[in-house]
Amino acid sequence: MSWLSRLNPRGPGTRPGRSAAPSSPCTADPETCLMVFQNHWRQVSWVLEQHEPSSSSDDLTAVRNHTDQMLCLLAEERPAEVSEGGATVTQMGPILELVVTENILECLVQWHIRRGLDPDSQGALLKLFEMLIGQSQQPLLQHTAILHPLLRLLGACADPELGCPSALENSLVLLLNQVCVSMARQPVVLEMLFRAAPAQQGSTNLLIFSLLVPFIHRDGAIGQQARDALLLVMAASASHEAVARYIAENSYFCPVLATGLSALYSSLPRKIEVRGDDWHALRREDWIGVSSLVLFMNSLEFCNAVVQVAHPLVRSQLLDYLHNGFLIPVMGPALHKSSVDEMIASTAYLDLFLRSVTETSLLKTFLRFILLHRHDNDTILDTLLTRISSNSRLCMVSLSLFRTLLSLNCEDVMLQLVLRYLMPCTHVMLSQRRAIRETDLYGKSADKFLSLIPECCRLSTGPSAERDDDTAFWGKVLNSTSTESPAPHRPSTPSRLSFFIRQQSSGGSSGGGGPSTPTSMEPLQSGAPGSHPLSPDSPLSQHQTHIEFLDWDCGYLEYLRDARRGIELCSWACRDWSAPYDGENPSPNMAPPPPPPPTSNPSITMFPEHFSFQQGAGTNTPPGQQRAAIVAAARSEWSSSERDSGEWDVTIGKNNCISLTPRSKKRSLQREELLPKPVPPLVPSSSSSAPPLSASHPTSSPSPHIPTSAITVSYQAMYNGTVGQGDSCLDNRDRGLEVKKVKRDLGEQQYLDENANQNGSLVSCPSQSCTALPHSIFSNSDISDAKSVRPKQIPPQSSITLQTSDTHNAPSDLPETNQSVESLIEELLEQAPGDSQLPGDSNGQGISIEAFTQELRELEDRVNERVRAVCQQEETIRESLSAERQEEEQTLSLVSEAKLTGDTKGDSSAVGVCSPARLLSQPASQPYTGPFMVVLFAKLENMLQNSLYVNIQLTGIVAQLACYPQPLLRSFLLNTNMVFQPSVKSLIQVLGSVKNRIEAFAASHEDFPAMLKKAQQYLVARGKVDWTDLPAAMPTLRRSDSLVKSRKPSLGDLILRHTNSPTRARHAAQLALAHVRDGGQSLHSALFRGSGGGGGASGLEKQAEALRVKNAVYCAVIFCEFLKELAALAQEHAVTLPFPHSQVPEE
Amino acid sequence: MNLNPFWSMSANTSRKRPDNEEQSGHGEQRASPARLPFGKKQLPAIPKNATPITKPSSTGTPAQSANGTHASYGPFYLEYSLLAEFTLVIKQKLPGIYVQPSYKSALMWFGVIFIRHGLYQDGVFKFTVYIPDNYPDGECPKLVFDIPVFHPLVDPVSGELDVRRAFTKWRRNHNHIWQVLMYARTIFYKINTTEPLNPEAAVLYEKDVQLFKSKVVDSVKLCNSHLFDQPKIDDPYAISFSPWNPAVHEEAKERMFTYKRRPEDHHKGTQVSGLSWVKPGSTQPFSKEDSPPQS
Repeated sequence: MSWLSRLNPRGPGTRPGRSAAPSSPCTADPETCLMVFQNHWRQVSWVLEQHEPSSSSDDLTAVRNHTDQMLCLLAEERPAEVSEGGATVTQMGPILELVVTENILECLVQWHIRRGLDPDSQGALLKLFEMLIGQSQQPLLQHTAILHPLLRLLGACADPELGCPSALENSLVLLLNQVCVSMARQPVVLEMLFRAAPAQQGSTNLLIFSLLVPFIHRDGAIGQQARDALLLVMAASASHEAVARYIAENSYFCPVLATGLSALYSSLPRKIEVRGDDWHALRREDWIGVSSLVLFMNSLEFCNAVVQVAHPLVRSQLLDYLHNGFLIPVMGPALHKSSVDEMIASTAYLDLFLRSVTETSLLKTFLRFILLHRHDNDTILDTLLTRISSNSRLCMVSLSLFRTLLSLNCEDVMLQLVLRYLMPCTHVMLSQRRAIRETDLYGKSADKFLSLIPECCRLSTGPSAERDDDTAFWGKVLNSTSTESPAPHRPSTPSRLSFFIRQQSSGGSSGGGGPSTPTSMEPLQSGAPGSHPLSPDSPLSQHQTHIEFLDWDCGYLEYLRDARRGIELCSWACRDWSAPYDGENPSPNMAPPPPPPPTSNPSITMFPEHFSFQQGAGTNTPPGQQRAAIVAAARSEWSSSERDSGEWDVTIGKNNCISLTPRSKKRSLQREELLPKPVPPLVPSSSSSAPPLSASHPTSSPSPHIPTSAITVSYQAMYNGTVGQGDSCLDNRDRGLEVKKVKRDLGEQQYLDENANQNGSLVSCPSQSCTALPHSIFSNSDISDAKSVRPKQIPPQSSITLQTSDTHNAPSDLPETNQSVESLIEELLEQAPGDSQLPGDSNGQGISIEAFTQELRELEDRVNERVRAVCQQEETIRESLSAERQEEEQTLSLVSEAKLTGDTKGDSSAVGVCSPARLLSQPASQPYTGPFMVVLFAKLENMLQNSLYVNIQLTGIVAQLACYPQPLLRSFLLNTNMVFQPSVKSLIQVLGSVKNRIEAFAASHEDFPAMLKKAQQYLVARGKVDWTDLPAAMPTLRRSDSLVKSRKPSLGDLILRHTNSPTRARHAAQLALAHVRDGGQSLHSALFRGSGGGGGASGLEKQAEALRVKNAVYCAVIFCEFLKELAALAQEHAVTLPFPHSQVPEE
Repeated sequence: MNLNPFWSMSANTSRKRPDNEEQSGHGEQRASPARLPFGKKQLPAIPKNATPITKPSSTGTPAQSANGTHASYGPFYLEYSLLAEFTLVIKQKLPGIYVQPSYKSALMWFGVIFIRHGLYQDGVFKFTVYIPDNYPDGECPKLVFDIPVFHPLVDPVSGELDVRRAFTKWRRNHNHIWQVLMYARTIFYKINTTEPLNPEAAVLYEKDVQLFKSKVVDSVKLCNSHLFDQPKIDDPYAISFSPWNPAVHEEAKERMFTYKRRPEDHHKGTQVSGLSWVKPGSTQPFSKEDSPPQS
């Protein structure tokens, strides 16, 4: 309703003119005024009565002058107040009475029209009427003597051919606006307008309405006035069935509004200027300067308002038109544009629209479009889902959109995204279904999550400090929580605190304030005492670091509080859902089988790599299709990695792919041009605006045991969100095709070489000819995704045969084998049947290479199991360094062998990894948790390679999902004790794999602790800077700003906060950089030391490496925080009470 | 076995029983402004899970918490386990039973139980629950009545209820504190005399029910006469009773009945209206067509 009140600044009682009138000096004696008026009227009527319409301008001037005077007098006249039997009755003032009885205005307008209205006098009349209606002290419009000439005048403006002369538009709209304002005050006027004889209104029943409609989408004040006026009509007609019916059936209002949106949309920028590497959504500050977008948003806001106030008839018609006239024909295709820029733009727009719409039914229309509308056989939702797996800003933007969707707490959305896949409960073992409803009473799941914090990230102080730390920590707890009011349903905070203080048996402080000052506080975490003692020799630095770590480490309480808030808000918002989704209601048996994974989606073939891993089963796809799939996959990979990594092309260029090199040079130039003033990078040394690499990878790594594979891959993604990356998308596509051509023309060898080099896996493979084919098309991490899940999905038999045949080929190529792995392999070989086929021949699929690497991984896992005997069986994803490396070497050699067998093998093996065709062949019976979960988990598993901002977004989304109280979802994400079907990957598995990768990375970088510290400091500093101007920060439409308020500078809000204002974010980054500049330097220098062993490494390559390391280090930081967040969510779920169903919708 | 035949029969005759449990709101008032109103009171069936097992329990070694992996988070686990137990109690809506964790220790809960009918009708028994600090891996919680009720299973000196017979071995995930509370309620409706802590009561119940009954009545009277006493344990959150004072209690009662829980910092600005267009019983999105706008 705020809209209306804004429109109606002058209510009947507050009308300034009226209230000011009594003291107004110009209020002369009414009788005198009447005499003056009559005098003017006499003189005018003398002119008017000349039968021959004079064309003399003297007449016109005279009439105008007199009319001005007359109407001013009329406007200033106050209604006569006559007391009749004690009651005061307002009557028409004498002038008005005269005007009505003599029909003066009608005569005037008629005379003008007879005379031929020139725009000048027309405008003058419009202005006069506007003045009269706007300033009149008494209601005028209910008198036909005023209304009809007004309509006649307006009718003259609505020339069917000429329309309204542009010079008059302003006056016209202003007048219409005034009419609508007084109509809103006197509803009877609407009735009169509606019933007025067509003679006065021309062809339409509601002239003012028809006149206003063309201005709906107009820019500037005039458009706003028109929309305001229309909205008043809408509000007035909400209770007027006939008018509403007329608007819906006889006016073009709804179609104009909806199709106008389409037109406005088409003028929006196709490409959004990228501003900062963390940009992922359009905020108000982003679009307020883009006039076309402002225009669109104004109209959308207007639609929202109309939906809010209009009659149900009008509303439903408008929604209908919006759906069929804007969303389907315009938004749908826009979201499916082939250029990545356009995808980014349209996704960001859709996100913005969703965040801006507040009316439930309008939101429903949008959601219906997203969830149900099929464009080219796929729902919009499917299409959007596939974008998450891209490695670009598109991913960020898509994640942001999904975040918006999740924040709606809409049952229908959640049903389509996740719940319908979980409802049949096929993802859990039958015996486990009971456990779906269980909550984590004793913190087991939380403990499990926290246990995944990599050892290398547990910064600790000396053991002696531990006790004090705890005391101080709890003191702080006391401090921070005792001020807040106790939660309604839980025992008092102080009691818990005092309990723990007692337990610590130190620091006897009871209920008071915190016993310790902030400076005395030290990190909470002291997991591995003594492993990394802080340097004791510099007390100052120690002091500082302590403070900083305090900020960083002691956030668990904050996470708990956030988790509680998040869960409460979510469960409150979900209280009116139709079902609890607890594994029993809706019944698993009744649930319809979830839809199979999306089919033949162009977008999927664009980004197939992350879908590949759950598509384990072999396919019988025709070869042609396979090839097409490979090409598409290669293209996508090429394009996506291209998008993300500036130097990628250079790696190619190094290798004899001639066609690519110049282009990359050109592109690099472009990029440099694009960045005259680069946005401050996170770490100065590893600027994302670095020119592309031009040198090759080092041919040997300093330490043979450095895990190259897990890490080297990473830089394909690490440029996520870097400036200007989007520019080259089309290029990339082309290039992807070119790659294919190269491959055909020059033979496979070259193709492989390029890719292998790109991969960095050649470190261990001096021979250029032995190349890793699957690696070449997909990054290692993708492969490992594929591999790690595949063992569970490949039908047992086929997987066994593949394994054996593979391993048979393998052993000779194992140069540096972990002892136990070796023995296991030997074991395996003994069991293997004798038939030795070349891998590709073992079956037509040629998935031998992955099968082999997968087998290796399994072996490695078994070794790990034996050695550690800690983790669960499911965690087969772990990648220990040596085995990884080994595996790669074997793969390489295998491929070189396999290569001999012919060209097709390469293709088919690639298909084994990634074919989108697998999507088609996904067996319906296979438990499938839905594309959303699959793509999120895949992305999550790749955390080490994701950019900081992708990870922040990603973990934010998962955390948001984990807030949902529905047992199906909660148990799937947070119950770490649940046993899922083998083909279903659990969150804990994914996180375990990330943990292993981080540990592997840390082990290979001796200065990892220092880098980690710097990264933490940087994030803390950045968060602090942002906090300082938080009060000014604008809360987004539906996110509670309180989230931002209390959060430690850790996870999702970091990015949230940042995007509140890009400029502020940049400013913050700059300031933060000032704090930790040395940190950046050391990050940088670390890289040089770490990777610069080979003499030929160029600075560019080092920078690439620096980025890769940066991503990994930030990932480690985010990962730890994410685990705390999940643990807190798991704990809070156990203590949350459900909200009762609300009978009546609240608010 | 503490045998005390001299159970005071000179019960105070003042039977100022509080009108209803609303009285207990007074204690809470101090504690926290608003608490969840408990559900409709009605007698439940005897809880199945609380079937007494008469095997003597092994005095389990107070093992360290199994959540030892991350010592620094350990306190959170214990705290949240207890919170979760408390949440379960609330969810159970146990009839006539109210508990409130102590201010000083989360391991100590104050409670009161109202007996609506049967031999102990009109009894209002305050009690305290002591939870072992190695919960949930320790033994079962102790439940001690403030005033030893005359009952075969209540120690006539200490007032401790024989809980262990029902929970021989405290099993995490299976046993919960609400079951202990439920059990404490059950004993007043279904008298069990085997292996009594108060043999006198047991013998009387077996041999002379009338005398038993009169002793019970006296005991109930005694308890109720001490209702307005200061709480035995000095704790801000201890449950204390006071005579009905409309000025204080009406308002509190009113608040309890009108209270609607909202998310902690829910404010009108946020759209958390919980959109749903799914028809109950359907699993199709937009199956509920209340206002069909689409063609």
